[in-house]
Amino acid sequence: MILRLVVTDGSQTPAVAESVEVSADGAISGWRSVSEGGVGWFAGVLPAAELAGLRDLIGSAGSAPPAAPPPPDSGQEMLELAATGPIAIAGLGSPLAVAARNLLTRLTDFPRAAVAVSHPSPTVARLSHRGTDPIRIDLTTVEWRETAWRGYYESAGDWSGVAAGPPEVTAGPGWTFDIPIVPTDAAVHLTADFTILSGSTRVPVRAKHTPALAAP
Amino acid sequence: MTDASEAILPERKPPDPVTVRPPETETAGPVLLPGAGNAAIARLLQGSPSPAAIAELSQLGGNAQLARLAGPGGGSGAPPAPPVGGGGVADVRVGAHGEAVRDAQVKLSRVQASADPLTEDGRFGPLTEAAVRTFQTSVGIVPATGVLDPVTKARLDAAFAALPPPVRALLTMGSTGADVGFAQQKLNALGASPRLTVNAVFDGSMLVGVIAYEIGVLKRFPSGTIDAPMWADLDAKVKGGFVAPEGASGRNVEQDTPSGTANSLGTQVAGSSLHPVTGAGGLTQGPAVKELQQKLNTAGAAPPLVVDGVFGPKTTAALQTFQTDKVPVTGTADKATWDALDAVAPGSTVGAVERQWTEVVGGATYGMTGGNASRYSWEIQAKRMLVTVKVNFVGLAPPGAWFTHVQTAWNQYMGVEPASGKSMPVDFRMIRGAGGDAETVQVVAGTGRANAGQWYVADPNAASTIPHEFGHLIGLQDEYQLHPGDYLRATGHEPPVGDATGPGVPAATIATNLQNAMVARNSVNARAASTGAGVHEGAFAQQVVEAYAKLPTTNVPAVAASPGPPPVPFQPAVALTGDLLFDLNAALPDDKDRYATIQVFSYSSASLMGDPGREFDPHDHGAQPRHIAEFMAILGRALGGTWEAKRR
Repeated sequence: MILRLVVTDGSQTPAVAESVEVSADGAISGWRSVSEGGVGWFAGVLPAAELAGLRDLIGSAGSAPPAAPPPPDSGQEMLELAATGPIAIAGLGSPLAVAARNLLTRLTDFPRAAVAVSHPSPTVARLSHRGTDPIRIDLTTVEWRETAWRGYYESAGDWSGVAAGPPEVTAGPGWTFDIPIVPTDAAVHLTADFTILSGSTRVPVRAKHTPALAAP
Repeated sequence: MTDASEAILPERKPPDPVTVRPPETETAGPVLLPGAGNAAIARLLQGSPSPAAIAELSQLGGNAQLARLAGPGGGSGAPPAPPVGGGGVADVRVGAHGEAVRDAQVKLSRVQASADPLTEDGRFGPLTEAAVRTFQTSVGIVPATGVLDPVTKARLDAAFAALPPPVRALLTMGSTGADVGFAQQKLNALGASPRLTVNAVFDGSMLVGVIAYEIGVLKRFPSGTIDAPMWADLDAKVKGGFVAPEGASGRNVEQDTPSGTANSLGTQVAGSSLHPVTGAGGLTQGPAVKELQQKLNTAGAAPPLVVDGVFGPKTTAALQTFQTDKVPVTGTADKATWDALDAVAPGSTVGAVERQWTEVVGGATYGMTGGNASRYSWEIQAKRMLVTVKVNFVGLAPPGAWFTHVQTAWNQYMGVEPASGKSMPVDFRMIRGAGGDAETVQVVAGTGRANAGQWYVADPNAASTIPHEFGHLIGLQDEYQLHPGDYLRATGHEPPVGDATGPGVPAATIATNLQNAMVARNSVNARAASTGAGVHEGAFAQQVVEAYAKLPTTNVPAVAASPGPPPVPFQPAVALTGDLLFDLNAALPDDKDRYATIQVFSYSSASLMGDPGREFDPHDHGAQPRHIAEFMAILGRALGGTWEAKRR
């Protein structure tokens, strides 16, 4: 392991508890719990050039940054490097801190056993499997929220509801689950809250669909 | 804020009925004294209190306390100025706003004319109109127009005045229950020193405070009891401190107990200045320079400087002249220079603030320091005061609605100077900009929980999120998950009594279970030991806090990161301190169970800077006058008088 970032925030529902870890050979793996790119397990290999860039950042980081209180309302971000050990980086904008956070987003390019939400048609929010491995989920209560936007993030409506599905389903490649939503001609953002099962552990998660809107 | 936000579900359990543990003997008076466990008090009560005895007691309660209690006014103070617009006779109807509306909302809820407790936002919306109509019907005013006309207002005032006072229990050593907590609140508000923990237990420390009050304020032979006359005195001098049904639903709402003067600003970093460095190496144009030029003129700059906000040679020269023989002559206004200038020229009509501050929330320290300090400027114009926050948005472009959200939430008040009758709206605005007087906010894609320095472009709750974060940009601290003292300082309210009786499990047992959970790094167990066992926010939870503080401290070893799911980061070794909030934060992983556990042992307001999603308080909602107190002080320094924030 040359870098590990764990981001947590228990003030949110569902709680944020995410991690990304990069090994010396470029292997990247981790877990996402509240994510646009899907929730669940992710694993892959970073391209050599990307790994080299990350190594350069880690090498130039030196010792731990000066301590500063994190900004009000922030969650916890703990970065572990072989050279420095754990460092709290919430609120820091150093190149390495930014790169580490970006790795959490990059992680979703390597789905292994994950579920994402999409908006394939005006009346449907679709949960679908991503990756190669199966994942167990509980769909007894799927809380969804639909936010509609016009222009550049001008609110055009906000709806929410609860969909019911099976208490336990093993989702594999090709699996989908459709949730009826309110049709609108505006741009739609979605969230879907459900539970991932891992052994006896139940992990509440939120899959998000938030395509960017063009700035004016 | 409008009536639309009035229906909020409760999170905090309302106070329980009073329960009184009877004393071991029912004989009143000196026979009870051994229970006080204090020989001085016992001697005092053997006869009429002599000056010597009072002096002896004052060492227990504190001379300062007695002086305050016995002093003129005794904390009662002058009656507050009438609300702006409150004395008028004009009709008040849908669309109206201001203190008169807020006053009506208070009364409509209390006389249970509204369906549910009205959010006291000073905005006359459809819920307020419906409540007026219901009230009119109930008292026979025909037709029921929903308009607060002079007749309706008079009847409403009369109905409110006729509400029965709270029924108070006789409290003695050993009493427990909500009324004990309310008495502790009121004694605190009247200057009890040391402050009493609002734990709803009439113990030895409370007895000292009660006796001191009897002697110092009531001027009576102390009985060590809070009886009807003492309750009448406490209730007359301190508002709130009881539970009342509000709305037709009869929802019990604890009435806030004001105490002291609120300071909602974060704790200023020691040794820091509230002025940005101005001149070479700092700001060379803008409001800070204008303030400098005004103050140099007030300090005698000759010839007077043109207040143009440009730090040029003449300003430099005037500054150096001022610095001579006072502070090092640098030609730059640093902290020492500003301190000297403020001493001779405290007021100005324009200025800039750079506030370095911290806060403790949920047992963790947060802050806006160094390059992330809060930066804002203000200007007293002909007809308003304008507060400006210049934000350097980096990353994505900020949605235009954010700027409107700030104004909607914050432009609610005006400054009023009762003596002169002057008033002046206080407007807030957020503008784009860069430079040394701007704050940097990262605008990132998607949704998530914003913090003071990072906002989400697609935040569906931006109407509340952005005004909250804007509050941090003007130096306001959070009002959630606070220690009691911080809650008192930030809100100007005594910590609520809330749940006074607890679940029937001894506080010490719960404290021990919590410590065991911390040693095991197990937040699930901590939650089970607290909320799971029936602990709610309030006085009983503070008994647990006190019991925890008495436990022997211990060390919790470090724990390596765990991949989960859910993943847990490396947790360093922790030496438990006895402060429950600090220890829960340090020992447990940052998850929902820890958050819920900390919530019940801390205090949160329902205001814009608090946690309206978890707390219910129709009396303390949205932006509050305390949040703009800094600008009232600025008005006072610039224009003279004592300014108060009133709804407009």
